[in-house]
Amino acid sequence: MSKSTILSGTDLSKKYGDLEVVKGVSLTVNEGEFVCLVGKSGCGKTTLLSLLSGLEKPTKGRVSLDGREITTSSEDELALFRRDNVGFIFQSFNLIPTLSAWENVALPLFPIKITSEERRRRATELLEKMELGHRMDHLPSALSGGEKQRVAIARALVNHPKIIFADEPIGNLDSGTGEAIMGILNKLHKEEGVAILMVTHEDELAKTANRLIRMKDGEIMS
Amino acid sequence: MNVRYMMKELYYQRRRTLMSILGLSIGIALLIVLNSLSLAYRQAAHVPLKEIGADITVQRSGDVPKDLAGAVFPCSAVTIHKEEVEKIQKLPGVRGIGTGLLLWVFDPNRAWIVLGIEKENSIGPSLLRSSVTEGRFLEDGKPEALVEQAYARQFGIRLNDTISVADKKFPVVGFVDASRAAKIAVANVYLPIKEAQNLAVSSKELQSVSPYAPGDVNLLFIKADQEKITSLASEMKGILGNKATVATPDSFLKLLGNLFALSDKFTLAASLIAIMVAVLIAFKTMAGNIAERAREIGVLKAVGWTNRNVVSQLMSESIIQCFMAGILGLLIALVAAYGLSFMKVNIPIPWEMSPTPHFLPGGGDQIFKTLRLPVHVPWSLAFFAIALSVIIGGMTGGLLGRHISKIKPSEVLRHE
Repeated sequence: MSKSTILSGTDLSKKYGDLEVVKGVSLTVNEGEFVCLVGKSGCGKTTLLSLLSGLEKPTKGRVSLDGREITTSSEDELALFRRDNVGFIFQSFNLIPTLSAWENVALPLFPIKITSEERRRRATELLEKMELGHRMDHLPSALSGGEKQRVAIARALVNHPKIIFADEPIGNLDSGTGEAIMGILNKLHKEEGVAILMVTHEDELAKTANRLIRMKDGEIMS
Repeated sequence: MNVRYMMKELYYQRRRTLMSILGLSIGIALLIVLNSLSLAYRQAAHVPLKEIGADITVQRSGDVPKDLAGAVFPCSAVTIHKEEVEKIQKLPGVRGIGTGLLLWVFDPNRAWIVLGIEKENSIGPSLLRSSVTEGRFLEDGKPEALVEQAYARQFGIRLNDTISVADKKFPVVGFVDASRAAKIAVANVYLPIKEAQNLAVSSKELQSVSPYAPGDVNLLFIKADQEKITSLASEMKGILGNKATVATPDSFLKLLGNLFALSDKFTLAASLIAIMVAVLIAFKTMAGNIAERAREIGVLKAVGWTNRNVVSQLMSESIIQCFMAGILGLLIALVAAYGLSFMKVNIPIPWEMSPTPHFLPGGGDQIFKTLRLPVHVPWSLAFFAIALSVIIGGMTGGLLGRHISKIKPSEVLRHE
């Protein structure tokens, strides 16, 4: 693995019964790189993202994240690793409905022994960056789609991750809001140097990325 | 475990929380009420004996003379010899003993129920001292009588009158309201035991069927260690023979003929069923609640919560819900217990203990001691119920949490 490689997947396969969803895929993401994984619905890109982020274990192959082999780690080891190194952004935001915006941002910090004030301070800082300082105490049900996704981005950043995995982050948003979210992701990557691996089925979005990887039927085409 | 998250989850998911709390609280309330009711019957069974300051009463049945004239023993209470009393006194577990001598006295123009009592003994009918309504209680060494006030009213007996009982004269020094006292060991006339014994010694009819010597008695009132009452009862029967009637709280409990009173096993079985129902309700409701939160659990795991973090969070929520259910169950039970405490219970007094001859008016009637059922929730039971709720919460939350924490985040987080 080269010094600048943050994520490396080698010969990754994933089978569900007889169905092979990911077929011997290898790819790398470098530090600070914005990579887009593009493909039609059902081509295996979300499964590949799950394998690379440690949410799921591959049937075959290896994944190294920040120089650590994660394929052989236990569930709890993976959870702790994700907490310290990885951020997630989902299409359907996946905010906890009973927690306010700042509490959702601080969610990864809840199991860590830090003061409540420190949690709130870190969450507030990020929400202000996302221009949501005035919505800190609102529940997700009181936020718009774009605001929800900005809260989710802040949550992904709260543990200062080296890489963010984004699965169709603007799939549930209108085009104007989607552009704004993409603007935030671009800014993050450029100004903070965070690596991003984004899954999308829209070629247009991929134009902003440093690199484009196309997938078809569980395999990488280019 | 994050308290803020836990409290918000319980607050904002009010419907879920309320369903869990209500379900379990009913089971807990049922458990408390069943046990309180059982305890109340047990306490009620102690009342008839407690009112004469005893835990056990003993008498022995025998024969009645052919000619009912002068002083005789009721057939349910014949001689208990002095030596037998001494043997009983020495039994381990006997803390004190009171004696009485019950006589039926048939004078030419009147029948008396006469009870000879020990004036100073705190065990037995001398407790009537507090029921004197007019005049005074009996004094030492004086041949004098106390008359039951209703009887006195019926026969026009007044204070300081002299009554003749089996040809012996006794000045009436006071009236006593026996209706305030226990229904057992009640009489029309109360004499110092020495005077009653003199009547018994000099009665030919009595001596003909039940030999009697000075110092013998026919009623025993025994104070005993609570845990030894049952074993003492059988030992006393061993000393007095199979004609002995030994009354204990348990024997009164059996007479109540109520399921709660009849059997500890019934209460235990009903309590176990209540607990099982409570656990099942809690488990089913919470299982449904947690299953609804699969996606949320997936998010927690994705952002770095370990299985232990998830389990402890769910467990704490479950413990708090069950604790609240315990408190609510206790409140429901307290209200129910208050309502049930207005219930009246009739404790039948066995005919052997009823002093009225069956051939006299009212003598054959069943006598009851009627009292309000003393239903209350003891602190120990309340603490047990709350602790049980918390344990149920811990176990339910732990089991369900462990199950759901095994969920793979990727399975529940795939976008629709």
